[in-house]
Amino acid sequence: MAITTGSGPSAGEDATTRERNLPPGEIVEKRAPRGRTARFFEAWPPSVLLALGWILAMLFIAAFVEILAAYSYTAMDLRARLTPPVFWGGTDVRHLLGTDELGRDVLSRLLYSIRMSLLIAFFGTLIAATLGTFLGILAAHFRGWVEDVVLMAIDFQASMPFLIIALAVLAFFGNSLILFICLMGFHGWERYARISRGLAISANEQGYAGAVRQLGAPAWRIYGRHILPNIASTLIVSMTLAFPETILLESGLSFLGLGVQPPLTSLGNMVGYGREYITRAPWIMLAPSVIIILTTLSISIVGDWLRDRLDPTLK
Amino acid sequence: MLRYLSTRLVRALLTICFVVTFAFVILRLSGDPALLILSPDAPPEAIEAFRKSWGLDRPLWEQYFHYFAAIAEGNLGRSMRDGRPALDLVLERVPATLALTIPALILKIGIGIPAGIYAALNRNKLADRLTMLFSVAGFTVPSFVLGLVLVLIFAVNLGWLPSGGSDSWVHGILPIITLGTAGAAVLARFTRSAMLEVLGQPYIRTASAKGLAWRRVVVDHALPNAAIPTVTIVGFMVGSLVAGAVVVESVFSWPGVGRLLVVAVANRDLAVVQTILLFVALTMVCANLTVDMLYGWIDPRLRTRRVAGAG
Repeated sequence: MAITTGSGPSAGEDATTRERNLPPGEIVEKRAPRGRTARFFEAWPPSVLLALGWILAMLFIAAFVEILAAYSYTAMDLRARLTPPVFWGGTDVRHLLGTDELGRDVLSRLLYSIRMSLLIAFFGTLIAATLGTFLGILAAHFRGWVEDVVLMAIDFQASMPFLIIALAVLAFFGNSLILFICLMGFHGWERYARISRGLAISANEQGYAGAVRQLGAPAWRIYGRHILPNIASTLIVSMTLAFPETILLESGLSFLGLGVQPPLTSLGNMVGYGREYITRAPWIMLAPSVIIILTTLSISIVGDWLRDRLDPTLK
Repeated sequence: MLRYLSTRLVRALLTICFVVTFAFVILRLSGDPALLILSPDAPPEAIEAFRKSWGLDRPLWEQYFHYFAAIAEGNLGRSMRDGRPALDLVLERVPATLALTIPALILKIGIGIPAGIYAALNRNKLADRLTMLFSVAGFTVPSFVLGLVLVLIFAVNLGWLPSGGSDSWVHGILPIITLGTAGAAVLARFTRSAMLEVLGQPYIRTASAKGLAWRRVVVDHALPNAAIPTVTIVGFMVGSLVAGAVVVESVFSWPGVGRLLVVAVANRDLAVVQTILLFVALTMVCANLTVDMLYGWIDPRLRTRRVAGAG
């Protein structure tokens, strides 16, 4: 029960504890006049709505960045270097969030960075979920030594800090965008493997899987068409909860200068070079920081809410 | 108990072997080490000599055993940058890292666990909400952002503390706070959920139903049971003492193992990276083993139960 939002399930509980102190007659009266808006906000808490709004805005930016950004992320304006944002005492309305040391527009770079970071986190999470689910189902299907090997790999992955593994791989293979995304895909696969193995084993013991098997369906059909849809909601919830972690990992590595390489830009990358100008131009570093925090926060709020709604068994 | 410990020990050794194999495989996959370490336009005789001295001309399985033997002897190669043994380079950085991570660990445990327990006991009250708010912030604010914001406030604007370096203990304050805050938030959240889980158990109801004071119920029944999952995460934190500060060390230019790792990765100094990888694996495995032993002490059920493939 790791509740982060503090709004979802607790609202209902507050009501029950309050009711306990009331005489029985009043409970009915208290419940009856609840309006449509109250019920709406109970199902969709304001924090979740705000979070969903923010996520939609980020997705919109990622999709239409070419139209939204006034400048290219590499366009330099050397005469307007380190211009402060308009609300920071800046006077240049062409650069709402100011410019960096090469006169590049911070707002435009920020928009491109949002797309890059979201894309990497999205594909990373997708690869991890696919890989983990596949290995988990493999273990559940074959049992025996296959399961032992998968379990050992899970143990290994869970016992090593992933950042160290990621750094080692980057050192050995060098860096390219594709490799970097694949690397993100190795983050957290063990969680999906653990979940899908457990769920697939218990699903195998249930009637419906047995029935399809009796009808002569091949294994891929049983897992793909029958078991996977049944365990999908749990996996989707875990993906939502893992997504912010992938964003943080990507931005951490890019911050260290070992993730997304210039001239490409990502949120962590922007914080990384903005750090050099922390005394003279802190806005370069603050703008992407705010985006990282709000985005990870929003996705975690939505993830927790989804978990409480779809899958109360997950903790 | 003995059986339980021996399975754990075997598992730990397997993990170490796995890491060594992992290092060997990616080292070989990443290309010809001779070409990586010497420049590609080195004279062919030099490359040949290098291959011979590193045993690269022998079959792969033989190289693999040689690699194991060398590591067992503590021969982890030399740094490409200054030619010193990689192990020495790493070991001399360890104290600096521990100077950050041990106080940070004390901070994490000292704040995180009491906050989590308090929040669970006062569920849905203001203190709980505040703790959870803090814990969400700790989870969503990346450590480099927290560190830089602290630098911005306390070093740039107020000028109270230095922004980086390691000349005196004052330099350690900001990195320790950065590390400790994030960890305390994680630990508070974890402890809270462990406590809530335990408090919902029937034996807690039994204990209060038989008239035990609530204080006794919490201290004697709830805390020991909630300790089991919490010890796991503390164990992970202890295991990452050596390498848990990669990002924070970089933010504050602290000359520890993490900073060394980042520089080594950027320079593709393979010997150093590999040494740190093995070092981290070793500390993680030792921490996990300790946690497993602690389980036996905390949870009497484990001492008597036959453990067959549990884990």
